[in-house]
Amino acid sequence: MRRIASVYVRWVDAVNYRIGRVMMYGMFVMMGILLWSSISKTFFLPTLWTLEMAQFAMVAYYITGGPYAMQLGANVRMDLFYHDWSVRKKAWFDAFTVLLLIFYLGVLLYGALGSTAYSLGYWGQEPLSFFAGLLVGAEEVGRLERSSTAWRPYIWPIKAVMIAGFFLMLLQAISELIKDIATIGEVDLNVV
Amino acid sequence: QGTIKWRMQTYAGPALAEHVIKPAIDSFNKIAGDRMQIELFFADQLVPTGELFRAMQNGTIDAVQSDDDSMASPTEVTVFGGYFPFASRYSLDVPVLFNQYGLNEIWDQEYSAVGVKHISAGAWDPCHFATKDPINSLEDLKGKRVFTFPTAGRFLTQFGVVPVTLPWEDIEVAVQTGELDGIAWSGITEDYTVGWADVTNYFLTNNISGAWAGSFFANMESYNALPDDLKELLKVCMDQSHYYRQWWYWGGEANLRVNGTKMELTSIPDAEWQQVEDAALKFWDEIAAESETKAKVVEIFKQYNADMVKAGRPYRYG
Amino acid sequence: MSYELIAILMFASMMLMLMTGQRVFGAIGGVAALAAILLWDPGGSNIPFSAAMKLMKWYPLLTLPMFIFMGYVLSESKIADDLYRMFHVWMGPVSGGLAIGTIGLMVLVSAMNGLSVAGMAIGATIALPELLRRGYDKRMVTGVIQAGSSLGILVPPSVVLVLYAMIARQPVGQLWLAGILPGLMMAAAFILYIYLRCKANPALGPVLPAAERTVPLAEKLRLLRAGLLPIVIFAAMMVPFVNGWTSLVESSAIGALTAFMAAVLKGRMNREVFEVSVRQTLAISCMFMWIILAALGFGAVFDGLGAVKAIDQLFTEQLGLNPWMILILMQLSFLLMGTFLDDTAMLVIVAPLYVPLVAALGFDLIWYGVLYTITTQIAYMTPPFGYNLFLMRAMAPPEITLKDIYGSILPFVIVMIGCLALIMTFPQIALWLPDYVYGK
Ligand code: NA
Ligand code: NA
Repeated sequence: MRRIASVYVRWVDAVNYRIGRVMMYGMFVMMGILLWSSISKTFFLPTLWTLEMAQFAMVAYYITGGPYAMQLGANVRMDLFYHDWSVRKKAWFDAFTVLLLIFYLGVLLYGALGSTAYSLGYWGQEPLSFFAGLLVGAEEVGRLERSSTAWRPYIWPIKAVMIAGFFLMLLQAISELIKDIATIGEVDLNVV
Repeated sequence: QGTIKWRMQTYAGPALAEHVIKPAIDSFNKIAGDRMQIELFFADQLVPTGELFRAMQNGTIDAVQSDDDSMASPTEVTVFGGYFPFASRYSLDVPVLFNQYGLNEIWDQEYSAVGVKHISAGAWDPCHFATKDPINSLEDLKGKRVFTFPTAGRFLTQFGVVPVTLPWEDIEVAVQTGELDGIAWSGITEDYTVGWADVTNYFLTNNISGAWAGSFFANMESYNALPDDLKELLKVCMDQSHYYRQWWYWGGEANLRVNGTKMELTSIPDAEWQQVEDAALKFWDEIAAESETKAKVVEIFKQYNADMVKAGRPYRYG
Repeated sequence: MSYELIAILMFASMMLMLMTGQRVFGAIGGVAALAAILLWDPGGSNIPFSAAMKLMKWYPLLTLPMFIFMGYVLSESKIADDLYRMFHVWMGPVSGGLAIGTIGLMVLVSAMNGLSVAGMAIGATIALPELLRRGYDKRMVTGVIQAGSSLGILVPPSVVLVLYAMIARQPVGQLWLAGILPGLMMAAAFILYIYLRCKANPALGPVLPAAERTVPLAEKLRLLRAGLLPIVIFAAMMVPFVNGWTSLVESSAIGALTAFMAAVLKGRMNREVFEVSVRQTLAISCMFMWIILAALGFGAVFDGLGAVKAIDQLFTEQLGLNPWMILILMQLSFLLMGTFLDDTAMLVIVAPLYVPLVAALGFDLIWYGVLYTITTQIAYMTPPFGYNLFLMRAMAPPEITLKDIYGSILPFVIVMIGCLALIMTFPQIALWLPDYVYGK
């Protein structure tokens, strides 16, 4: 059990760390798109795609970069009391309250799955069985949702990115839970 | 049995909704009393407009007021809702097309297939440009970043217009912060009512469509669960709403052109504007080629407009 | 369930979860998701996600990472050092001069970044050690830096005003301009306070020793050039924006690029500065965005379940107050909530409840944006909980205790409340400039 926990934490933290390290340069992608937007607007014709593309980049940036930000301890807490607690007391509280966070991320993930299934032309209420059906060939991709802009990009890619991001965030939250339990039990997970 | 509660979201913001939806919902609630109450929410209030249709399918919200195009409905008729280029001349064209030329049946079929009840379609104002800089020729359209309907935007790109889609409530600010050069979304009544007349200076009298076509929709299960008399009341109130808009816009458009002080009127000469109208017919054929249903709707538009021309004045002049 | 009960239940459970010290976005989002699933049937489970789509469409949020990056480049690359030396040399001969100079520094730093964090960081790392070494009273200088850094979100560019603009649907350009004069007025009030205090009691802010004061005039003039940097960065961003050549989000990218280039040209952009700026931009942007995501979900659930109606009725009907009393009550409630809520959460959850009310009462929303910003700044500075207080605690050297920090801010809070009262009484202090520029 302890070994599984330790392997899980090591892997999840490592994967999210690497993804976050890449995503943090996404800021320059946004900057580049916006600068190109100003340049093309000033010297040529304004472009159709820049604002929406920048919005997609922003979503990818903060959602898939989220787990790394969590590792960095960037998420503020209201530490009126929390600040003065011992490490163990903090872990005790976190181990319970992080369940609400995990629940929230689960709801976000489920919503993202449903919305992505819709963007692939599935109208039903069972997105999980739709995706399972897609894998085994029992379901087909239907009408693809497009953004209601003149550029009309397909929406499913950004929604798929959101699924991935919420999933990684969920894994990271579970990793935090395991670390809290380890702290409470004074177990060394051998994770650096 | 407790009060039935519906959540309805309109694509209009509060200022516009004050005329185009709220009176009808207030009447409905007053009459239905303890039996049923509809709570009205405005543009993007509960869900963003892009997610509106799915939210209605899921029952997150029970009813929607929107045109098919803005809410990106996943049907074959999406492109025709909102302002399909030059499909109509007057706001009465829309109910006639739906009630007498067979569009109701097509819409009903399309929406039933995706689990949504199409209650009724109505019309309001024509679609004009409201801009910061004057438009006096087609050349002036080039490079203008304009908030408009998706399909109208697709059509207008051939004249160099750069269509931009933003949340409806952000438009006024986007004009001020430079994200937009103008708006091609409504007639002059709406420009004044929602405040766009305060941030733009010019109104182009040439329109790209004579009347907006939009509808009331409901989640199929929520709708079927209603007793018959409440279904009837719903329909009557929606019809009342269509009627209110007929006179409010028709009178408003004329009044503000004549007496409005915030916007200066400009025109593109008829001969030059003819290019746009010709391009629209080509655009119709492109759309018709996309599917059988679309071809059927385009055919109806052509038939209707031909009939109106034959009927002569006052239906069509020249 | 009645609207009132839903409102109380949702708000109370959110507050309770926040008290446990769980991450703010988790507490808010979790309560929203739970309420949506339990009370909103069917289809409520989609609301938290649809907030993510709403957030995507809020295009002004693109300015967030840009302004945050700008702030980190400025504070990490230490290009503000020269600015500090400029004030140091010029203001040194005055009693309390270095503290006054620090306020000046804060004004210039404010013009180059959108948050109060950067000002705090620059103040705490550059100015604070110097001031302590010169025998300045530690309580006074801690207060100076906290108060000074609050100018960061009042003087444009300002992230808080961008967020407020999105909620109130008001033009960012006008809000930014509206913040300038109140910001400068507040800076002037701080300076006046420091000057008077030090005049009465020179021990609080001793004059620089004569040996240090004798700087050759040529050197003094050379140092003035440092003041050009903020002007260049500010102008590169604001001139195209106010003239409508570039849009808000485009201007923010230009601002970020200009700050980055400035650091490169000054030879300060080394590997470490780059790493810290890019990493911290991700961290802080994610913090903001996830809270906004959760709060948008909370707001939609709260609204859809009818709880917003309960709040509206409470203020407008049940209490039976006149508009000004309602306004003041709202401001007081912000101060109170500032002891519990994080700034972004407060903005995204509470402001949407109040802004429509403020509009309905007939007040100007641009003016209210300025009031709101100052009020929340006061809230973040007042004990026991405050964003600025925590930052100060994290950044201050060990000889400054929590008690010092708590004690230091009182006079500055009084000055800020005075300014707030002035702006409430004379709205033109905020509105004159935007009216003039946009020619209303
Ligand atoms: Na600033
Ligand atoms: Na506080």
